[in-house]
Amino acid sequence: MVNLCKGDVMRFLDKFSRRKYSSAREEGRQADQDSISTRLPQNIEQLHNLFPEAPDLIIREFTIKKTGELAALAYFKGLSDKNAINTSVLRPLQFEIGHDNQDEGFALSVGPIQSLNTWSDIEASIFSGESILFVDGRLEAYALDTRGWPQRAIGEPQTESSLRGAHQGFVETGAQNIAMIRRYISNRELKIKELKAGRRGATKISLLYPGDVAHPEVLKELEDRISQLDVDVIINTGELAELIEDNPYSPFPQFILTERPDAAASQLLQGRIVVIVDRSPSVLVAPAGFTAFFQSIDDYSTRWLISSFIRLLRFLAFFIAILLPGLYIALISFNYELIPIKLFLTIGDFRGRVPFPPFVEAIIMEITLEMMREAGVRLPAPIGQTIGIVGGIVVGEAIVQAGVINNIMVIVVAFTAIASFILPNYDMVASVRIIRFLMMIAASMFGIVGIVVGMMILIGHIISLESLGTPYGSPIAPFRLSDWKDAFVRLPLWNMKTRPISARAIQSKRQGSSRPKGDGK
Amino acid sequence: MKKYEFNEITLLQFICINLGIQVSVGALSLPQRLALKASTDGWMAIILMWAITIAASWIIIQIMKKYPDGTLPDLLSRYLGKWVGKAVALAAALYFLYYAYVVIVSTILYTKQWLLPRTPGEIIMLLFLIPAYAIASKGLRVIGRYAEVVILLSGWMLVIYMESFRDAYWLHLRPFFKEGWYPVIAALPEASLSFIGFASLFILYPFLQNKQQAFIGITVSSTLSMLVYLFTTIICFVYFSPDQIMQYNDPVVTILKVIKFRFVDRIEVLFISFYLFMFSLSWITTIYFSVFCTSWALGKQDHRGHLRILLFGAVAGTYFFMPTEQQKNQLEDLLMQIGIGFEYAFPVCLLIYLWLHERVLGRIKR
Repeated sequence: MVNLCKGDVMRFLDKFSRRKYSSAREEGRQADQDSISTRLPQNIEQLHNLFPEAPDLIIREFTIKKTGELAALAYFKGLSDKNAINTSVLRPLQFEIGHDNQDEGFALSVGPIQSLNTWSDIEASIFSGESILFVDGRLEAYALDTRGWPQRAIGEPQTESSLRGAHQGFVETGAQNIAMIRRYISNRELKIKELKAGRRGATKISLLYPGDVAHPEVLKELEDRISQLDVDVIINTGELAELIEDNPYSPFPQFILTERPDAAASQLLQGRIVVIVDRSPSVLVAPAGFTAFFQSIDDYSTRWLISSFIRLLRFLAFFIAILLPGLYIALISFNYELIPIKLFLTIGDFRGRVPFPPFVEAIIMEITLEMMREAGVRLPAPIGQTIGIVGGIVVGEAIVQAGVINNIMVIVVAFTAIASFILPNYDMVASVRIIRFLMMIAASMFGIVGIVVGMMILIGHIISLESLGTPYGSPIAPFRLSDWKDAFVRLPLWNMKTRPISARAIQSKRQGSSRPKGDGK
Repeated sequence: MKKYEFNEITLLQFICINLGIQVSVGALSLPQRLALKASTDGWMAIILMWAITIAASWIIIQIMKKYPDGTLPDLLSRYLGKWVGKAVALAAALYFLYYAYVVIVSTILYTKQWLLPRTPGEIIMLLFLIPAYAIASKGLRVIGRYAEVVILLSGWMLVIYMESFRDAYWLHLRPFFKEGWYPVIAALPEASLSFIGFASLFILYPFLQNKQQAFIGITVSSTLSMLVYLFTTIICFVYFSPDQIMQYNDPVVTILKVIKFRFVDRIEVLFISFYLFMFSLSWITTIYFSVFCTSWALGKQDHRGHLRILLFGAVAGTYFFMPTEQQKNQLEDLLMQIGIGFEYAFPVCLLIYLWLHERVLGRIKR
């Protein structure tokens, strides 16, 4: 609490402490440099020294009307809320006398007031958007919570839109993201652990977990990995994921990154941990298994038969997206005996006009497709339409008529593109693209044997991956039958009585059987 | 002391690994081998051999129970001294290595015959050893998971055979015991080639999560292999005539030539390429066992060094010598003989010896 002592007593104390410090030389000087002074002009000078070329640092000097003390308020323009400072800090301090018996503290209408007395603390809090109040004659400064940096309004998540799910997406402010999750899980078992990472701009990282469900070992592992980070700053959740994942050389994402609060809440309820990185609109969910990347929040809000069908479709699409161009190459250049004879004659007719070997043909088309997709991602919407027109010409009639590519190849590429579009997770789509090219190379060298060996390596890789020490291939390998209820299909909700084993929940019961039995009452 | 705690495998993984080792070598040529010895009575040899296999694995489990936290070399070095343990470890390593070699060589020959006729053997060997390294280097747990996936992926292949029941001629099987019991017994060793591989128990036993289930596991996997063999063999017997069947080297594959679907010609090519998964399971596991044993003998914790040497040696060896079809058959015959020795005879002797050992030592101690 703020104490209004007599000025001379403080000054005496100050002198006393100075004498004591000067006897202990080195430490004393450092501590002296770090701790603030009682004299206001000295503090202001020190502020200028600390932030020499910062024109956005505002220092406002004034007299507190109630006590008559000289004071200064320092904050960063833009990081702090101007209105709050004007109406809740400057106005009451400068013009209001306050009640008689209120002789300790200031009558300020801002939330938390924290008293600080070292420059390093002041630096941290002024950068986080708080404004600092220095009062002449006091050995402490007050950090007032006037945070208000530029913010985006909460909107529909762009990368993961859904039909039935909520239309709120995470934003760039960690505190708001936490609030959005709390709206779904208003339970005191939702625990939050705060960590800091980064030297140049300590990024606030919050670990959200259901206290009675999440496995303490998994939590500890995640915490250890984050606290061991030694980086400048973490700009984005993707960076954090790459820095802490189990196997950085794998093409597969090992954590789920999502922009959807409802998806994050649903993962929390399964016993997983959600990591919110301040300033980043996507959160990280760990541990994640391979099948989790094929789930979408809409699966739970549509009828279970339909969403099961869609899930199976996604897995089929995964294999088509990986294998189809490779299979085309293998069948055309090695194992043509597998193709039924009528189809083979047709293909031969088309292929006869094309001068390239199948592999080159496939590579040309796949690279064109990838370039078109990448162009479409970054182009602003008005220009983006051009891509559609240009792409329609390339992946279309013209290239076939010109005799560069044959018709079947165009069909193959179109199929692959469609198949990779239905996967709900962007990271998984990206890895599928890489694997597809590897499969094409394998197929061009060894035909169908190349594809089979490629699949062996792929399977071997997926099952040996781990996400925070939990097996990535679960529930397929290690085989966990009870988790199949929500892997390849989604069984009716009343069947999901237990949380998935792969999340390693310590309390596994999720719900009772809430479905009425029998007919009517 | 539990040395192998970090690589424990579940019962299902154990079953899948065993099934994978068994249903590989000799699975495709089994009907022909049986027919040559016992005509269409050959299928009875499968059932007989299955019973013997279960008995033999029961014996192995009795041996392993005496030292449940160790592999066979661990057990022997405890009972008979360090050097015996090491010698047996090396012998087992050689056995598993030979097993893996026969499997991989026959896989290469199948691949050359059906899929890649013009690619040199050593290139295919190199190709096959890449996944072997990727999986075997990660240890037993990953092998167990791989086994689960492969078995899961391969189930559909049996369904295809249903198609050929349409043209089945069941009278081929009659009469039973055409020439009495003798040919059936003579065919037993041929059937044994398809059952050997349960010696994996010697290595796998301490890794099992729940050791009481070892016998259940080995019974289930042997029974599944028996059913698979019985199914394919009987299909071949009722489909081909008794004379015809002896002409085909791999009747299990040849029978697929007749099956035609609208969407794919020559399903047998697809079948063989998918069967590579099963083969891979077998050679990956046995290679791992082999390296495990050599690393054990040389007292190394990390098996990857040996794995690299072995795989490199295999590729280099194939460059200089790639067996032909005939030589492969000879290799298989040899494997059969060694297998009978190592997996059926050796456990019996060992159990008797251990039993005597305990008796005698127990008496001395008393």
